[in-house]
Amino acid sequence: MTDASAGCALSAMGMVNALGRGADEIWPRLLAGDQSHFCVREDLVPGRSLLVAEVSGSLPPVPKGLSAYACRNNSLLLAALEQIETEISEARRAFGSGRLGVVIGTSTCGVSDAEAAIREQLETGRLAPAFDYAQLEFGGAASFVAELFGISGPVYTISTACSSGARALVSARSLLALGVCDAVVCGAADSLCGLTTNGFSRLQVISDRITNPCSVNRDGLTLGEGSVAFLATRANGGVQLRGIGESSEAHHMSAPDPKGAGAEWAMRQALLDADLEPEEIAYLNLHGTGTPLNDAMECPAVVRAFGSPPPSSSTKPLVGHTLGAAGGMEAGFCWLMLGNTRGGELLLPPHCYDGQVDAALAEVPLASKGMRARVAPVMTNSFGFGGNNCTLVLAPGAS
Amino acid sequence: MIGVTLERWAAWSPGREGARAWQDWCARPVPLEEGGVPDARFLPPLLRRRCSPIARMMLTAAFECCDEEQRSHIGMVFASRHGNINESVGLFERLARREPLSPTRFSHTVHNAQAGLFSIAAANRFGSSSISAREETFACGFLEALTFLERDPNRPVLLVVGDAPLSDTFAPLVEEARCAYALALLLSNGPGPRIGFELASGAGDAVSPPWPDAAEFLRWHLSGAARLALGTGVRTWVWQKVEGSDG
Repeated sequence: MTDASAGCALSAMGMVNALGRGADEIWPRLLAGDQSHFCVREDLVPGRSLLVAEVSGSLPPVPKGLSAYACRNNSLLLAALEQIETEISEARRAFGSGRLGVVIGTSTCGVSDAEAAIREQLETGRLAPAFDYAQLEFGGAASFVAELFGISGPVYTISTACSSGARALVSARSLLALGVCDAVVCGAADSLCGLTTNGFSRLQVISDRITNPCSVNRDGLTLGEGSVAFLATRANGGVQLRGIGESSEAHHMSAPDPKGAGAEWAMRQALLDADLEPEEIAYLNLHGTGTPLNDAMECPAVVRAFGSPPPSSSTKPLVGHTLGAAGGMEAGFCWLMLGNTRGGELLLPPHCYDGQVDAALAEVPLASKGMRARVAPVMTNSFGFGGNNCTLVLAPGAS
Repeated sequence: MIGVTLERWAAWSPGREGARAWQDWCARPVPLEEGGVPDARFLPPLLRRRCSPIARMMLTAAFECCDEEQRSHIGMVFASRHGNINESVGLFERLARREPLSPTRFSHTVHNAQAGLFSIAAANRFGSSSISAREETFACGFLEALTFLERDPNRPVLLVVGDAPLSDTFAPLVEEARCAYALALLLSNGPGPRIGFELASGAGDAVSPPWPDAAEFLRWHLSGAARLALGTGVRTWVWQKVEGSDG
């Protein structure tokens, strides 16, 4: 059944984040290093003005017949899915609904809606009437997508904290290789909520300024929200999901192993799986959360895995840390790079920070604004709570 | 069909521990109990204290299903419909009252807490996934485990499925058999009787048993029946014992 020779093309991509909606808005702002979209929320963490990368404006409402799924997280997902609706519908027509699958990564689902429902219960004695358990249970996210498009192949949600989005693409590729599906709608969404903002605030990992990864002055992450959706098929062209690396930290529930062995291994595995030498990678999208621990662990791991690392950047100073969506979102940025080359070169998203590099991390070259690289495979790292690491390699397909 | 070898299994539910108790249950199944939590003495006290009831159940089945050497060298898939939602409810209530959250509690309510705790307790540095799929969580967990064998055919993968009954806040919103259980399956491409697995469209002959799908799978595995079909109407998940595939 396994068809290892076939490719895994990410043949269409839609996304929403603080920078905007869709490639046309997001891509130029990403390249420009636009940090004007952060805002302060007073209502999330009691007693704290919290800087966040929020998706502003109204989101598409969940269709009437699917109101059980009506929550902010699914509206975010819908805003990304609408951008690739045509491709999904075509795939369903071509392969049949039973040959399409859905794998969605999320760490929040409808938690913000559940929080409101519980607030109402404490005040009035009953849950908010609009609340449905399908908004909160993790499986609801994938189920929503399947019902939206009439997909009847395998449908499930992956929730492995900050690597959820990357893992959704991993499973999609394997479902195609196993022959279970001919196309997989895969992606991720995460929405700002009380649980994550208060949780990370209490863990003392949120900065009061825009996150400042790899700087000697870095003091934490900035939370964001957003969504990304891909259509993955067995084609050999387009942008290929070429390499996958996965590992566990086996160290601590909320802190990485300071030695970075798991991160290094994930990168090495991804190179091996992609059948590439380190020097064949043109760009690395760092996990780069801007917490003292993550960057101190990640950068030396990058140096060990690569020897001489490629130009790298963290895009979290532009869209915040979108947690369960981050791995998918950053794969989306890699997808945009490979699909928008100029003059035969890749345009690299800049690493936006205060310019005062931590000398201990300086061996990783940080991409500056306007930097270009040859068209070649690119890599993205995601490291999650609970010690779940996932590295992806995206590459130009055979044209 | 995708073929796989079920090397070993272990299950836990209140009042049912060990292979013998489950063989008896499979011969004369009754709805599973909902009250009770395993003591999980095999865990170091610090880790054990941080385990939610569902984490204790899933780790108990997981540890019983593989020996120490295997434990640190396998892929890991944890599948749970509700995960740690009961624990999250307490956090939601604190948030509603504008009370501070415990950072430790917060980090142990993530859906992949069980996977994280297992990898720490087992010193396992291989890949792991944690999934959820409403009424089809068992079948999708089984499929996710097969994706691990697709990527790394020679490395066995441990599938751990389990749930605890939902707390009073959300229980009225969900129709399901209320029970506490965990099932662990060690799956591989090694020698032994093969099981075929496939997804068929439509309702077909799928059954919806009065106990979790995972328990029905175990009952089928220990029975003489060749075929098992589970589903909720849209899809049918089929497991088939492959004739003449002994070792």
